[in-house]
Amino acid sequence: MEKEIIKFSDVTIGYGKKKIIENINVSIYENDFIGIVGPNGAGKTTFLRTLLGNLKPLSGTIQKNTHRFGYVPQRDTVQPLLPYTVYDVVMMGRYSLMGVFSKPTKKDWNAVDASLEHVGIQHLKNFNYNSLSGGQRQRTLIARALAVEPNILILDEPTNGMDTPSHYSLLDLISKLHDENKLTILLVSHLLSDVANGVKRLILMDKDFFQFGLIDEVLSEENLRKTYSSEFHVNRINGEYVITSKHGN
Amino acid sequence: METVNQLLQLFPYAILGSIFAGMICGFLGTFVVSQRVVFLGATLTQVSVAGVAFSFLHVVNIEAIIGSIFGINITDHSFLHNFEPAFFSLLFAVIVVLIFSQTYRQKVLTQDAILGIIFVVAVALRIMFIQKSPIAEVSEVESILKGDILFIGQSQFLTLGGIFLFILIVFTVFQKQLKFVTFDADSASAHGINSRLWLLFFYIVVGMGISLTTRFVGDVFTFAYLIIPASIGLLLAKKVIHVFLIALIVGAVIPPISIFLAFKFDFSSGPTAVVVAFILFLVVYSVKKLKG
Repeated sequence: MEKEIIKFSDVTIGYGKKKIIENINVSIYENDFIGIVGPNGAGKTTFLRTLLGNLKPLSGTIQKNTHRFGYVPQRDTVQPLLPYTVYDVVMMGRYSLMGVFSKPTKKDWNAVDASLEHVGIQHLKNFNYNSLSGGQRQRTLIARALAVEPNILILDEPTNGMDTPSHYSLLDLISKLHDENKLTILLVSHLLSDVANGVKRLILMDKDFFQFGLIDEVLSEENLRKTYSSEFHVNRINGEYVITSKHGN
Repeated sequence: METVNQLLQLFPYAILGSIFAGMICGFLGTFVVSQRVVFLGATLTQVSVAGVAFSFLHVVNIEAIIGSIFGINITDHSFLHNFEPAFFSLLFAVIVVLIFSQTYRQKVLTQDAILGIIFVVAVALRIMFIQKSPIAEVSEVESILKGDILFIGQSQFLTLGGIFLFILIVFTVFQKQLKFVTFDADSASAHGINSRLWLLFFYIVVGMGISLTTRFVGDVFTFAYLIIPASIGLLLAKKVIHVFLIALIVGAVIPPISIFLAFKFDFSSGPTAVVVAFILFLVVYSVKKLKG
């Protein structure tokens, strides 16, 4: 068994006095790969914000070991008017590791170059971030998260609004980061297909509904009905999950 | 040439002060425009004017308090004698910045709606404060509290220079943190930077710059120079540093040219500075459009 690095005990998440989900119990281990799935508005981003410490839990406790988060936000939330280059954006990932008055050193430049190389966009480093395609922007934000040299990589809806080749190429990159770099990964998506065949464990969530466990245990027709208020078939073909709607669409 | 010589003799501090005011607005405006908080700039200019109007009520005599603390005669001190309007202008602006920095927590109203409410209340309060002001005619007080480039004297010039230097130092020293939180505050927080604190600091510095500049050169000039030089920079530049440089250059060059034109053709200097900047913006925008 890998080492436990984060533990949610009876945590309630929400904004102000508004509770979104109560009694969350989740343990995250080193080299874990967890998918967080639910319909729009289910509270996935609230859960992430609570995990990252940007929001305080309304009740319960969250135990965290010393570690660094690499965070990849929803791409649409980052739309700068200033013409930052890809290199500028990735370098921001290093800022939290520097002193308040320090400037980037050779170590930081090397880390940025390595992150760009890792996600395959070294050739774009002098390009304007605003001029990139959706897939390239997403890779830039992943490179920025990797520049933090994180223990845990959190991706919030990384494939939203992407064309099919970019979509699968990005999912391959995320799997590679988990397999080869032994990164703990939390992948948030409203697309079941994105996570069903990649992650080890799954969080299914909707308002007032929360299930967490190994993917084989959680990914059931009943849990999907409770999460999405809709009927699904869950089948395994050649070891891969195939999820289809019972309404034939 | 004769007009230039006359101007240099009559209004040396106004010319130099307008350069600093333009550069302060151009620099801060680059953040204001790129952060998509232009309405915050408009609101802060009106709030600052309301603060100046409040000082004319003499509800709290700050100058007397300072005088008694430091044992000095304020009326002998030209800088401190003008301190009270600047103090209340700054105080009102900081209060609004503090309110604005908390608005993202609530989801009942948009930030625009909140700023809109503050904007109209500031305008209304300004009118009410002036009506109750014991010192002079309403129109006279209006013209005093709205500031004018040509009224910039030595102490205002030095204050504007000090503000510009302070802003430049703050944004140079803390450029990493301010760059990250203004680019993507959520990710900065996730990566261990206290976005809430740094954004608050950022908005306080912006509020301070806007309120004090409004006090000396007026709300129309300040608001226009927050938007126009930065917009020209964003239209022309391909690098972040060039956006700032263009905004600074436009902010520095257009106001003295405008003072010259205003003097020559007998216009008010503030509105002339706005129109000249707008003409430059129109030229840049048209050329950019034509080039595709």
